[in-house]
Amino acid sequence: MNIVSEPLPLIMMNNVNYTYPNGTHALKNISLNIFSGEIISIMGSNGAGKTTLIRTLNGLIEPKTGLIFIENDNIKSKTIAELSTSVGIVFQNPEHQLFSNTVQEEIKFSLKNIYSDNEIQEKIDETLKLFQFEKYKEKSPLNLSGGEKKKLALASIICRDPKILIFDEPTLGQDENEINFLINLLEEEKKNKKTIIIVTHNIEFAYKYIPRIILMAKGRIIADGPTNKILSNESLIKKASLISPQLNQLKSKLKTLGVHIPENIYTQEAMTTFLMEYFKRK
Amino acid sequence: MSFKFLEAFRFLKKDAFLHNLDPRSKLILALVYTICSLLFTNIIPLFLLFLTLLPLVLIGKLSKEWFKSIRGLSFLFILIIVLNTFFLSFSYAIGMIIRIIIMISSFSLFFLTVDPNELTLSLISMKIPFEFAFSFSLAFRFVPTISIEAQNIIDAQQSRGYELRKKGIIRQVKNLFPLLIPLIICSVKRAFNVAEALESRAFGSRKERSYYFTIHYTYKDWIITLYLFVILILSILVKIYFNYLPAWLSWSLPI
Repeated sequence: MNIVSEPLPLIMMNNVNYTYPNGTHALKNISLNIFSGEIISIMGSNGAGKTTLIRTLNGLIEPKTGLIFIENDNIKSKTIAELSTSVGIVFQNPEHQLFSNTVQEEIKFSLKNIYSDNEIQEKIDETLKLFQFEKYKEKSPLNLSGGEKKKLALASIICRDPKILIFDEPTLGQDENEINFLINLLEEEKKNKKTIIIVTHNIEFAYKYIPRIILMAKGRIIADGPTNKILSNESLIKKASLISPQLNQLKSKLKTLGVHIPENIYTQEAMTTFLMEYFKRK
Repeated sequence: MSFKFLEAFRFLKKDAFLHNLDPRSKLILALVYTICSLLFTNIIPLFLLFLTLLPLVLIGKLSKEWFKSIRGLSFLFILIIVLNTFFLSFSYAIGMIIRIIIMISSFSLFFLTVDPNELTLSLISMKIPFEFAFSFSLAFRFVPTISIEAQNIIDAQQSRGYELRKKGIIRQVKNLFPLLIPLIICSVKRAFNVAEALESRAFGSRKERSYYFTIHYTYKDWIITLYLFVILILSILVKIYFNYLPAWLSWSLPI
């Protein structure tokens, strides 16, 4: 008999609770497993506990009760600096981290504690190329546009090559090209077997590109599972104070008009094909 | 390092004796205690001065917040002890710590109990032009915002391997740049944004202003002012006649 052992989760959270000094109970009995190579989005209304949750993963916030394991190690035994090599968080506001004279130096700052001098230059060149920053490398980060600043903040975390990448609102204030760049980057990092967690309010983005979703409300996880299934559940969407994806809105409107929509339509392409056939039949 | 101690300088709405006083009497309180603490370097007079401040903390129902501000500045006390003990004496260092505690406590009481709107009114009543009074109260209102922003900056830098504590004074100073530069840039940007928002709402278009709220100097304010006046006069007298007063007043630690 072959015994196939299930892989252990990369991130394990067990009954995690956190209360801010002002008394806000931000995380309530959070338990979840995230496996290596997964792409997950965390969604919910403002104040649901999303940002607090991701801050516990690299030790910025220490849970009051509960345990967090990353690669089977209890993170309590590790410093933030140690954790930052395996967990990279890209914060919402890039201006909170940019301080160097040039784009190149900004990336170098992130690399200083983990690579040797020879490796650093190699890594900088690689990152500048990946993020198309070669022409800006001598430019001050402060003179970049909002979208470029966000991209630089992203570059300064990705260059560290952490196993777990966490993005806090990566699509906020980004134009179409920048969002497309982010999507390509996610694809690339997925190929590199990275585990990616994205905190976002952009439901269309999550619906199209992220396979698993964790919905939060009032410090609790209210749903965890495949994105298309969870985002098709109107009561869950309402509970998390989100706006239903356009495709679901269209589905429910068509249903009210008497059009029978099969349950397995989750993409724009599938919907287009279905409607073409439907009109042909009519 | 945490900037949470700045929260002890943020207005806290309460129905307590100090909160109900006129902001001008609380400004006098902060100034009197600062002046008096600067008059002495000996432990005993400074400690006695500190004891006169404690009842105000208690009747203001602010002991928790006050303790937080003092605890948050413990890193400063360590620095004072190290530098003063090295160059002068340990006894002098203790005196300086009590002096700093008095100054911080008096200003903490001021900031914790004065509503920013009332602060503008009290400054205007002291004949300070509205633009300056408003700017001052606005700066005061942004203290907690800057504290939150500073914490976010620390978190963002730590997420890419930044270590807060480094050995050696030069390395420690250099280590502050990743925190201070973003903080200054964000603060300057916010200042410009606030200025534009104010101008877009016709700030300063009329010279004559009317006020929805008014402030009054009541008998309670006069009692506190009298108390402060007595402390100020006593402190000045002690300073002038210090050499003629009992020797225990100039007691110091042997090191």
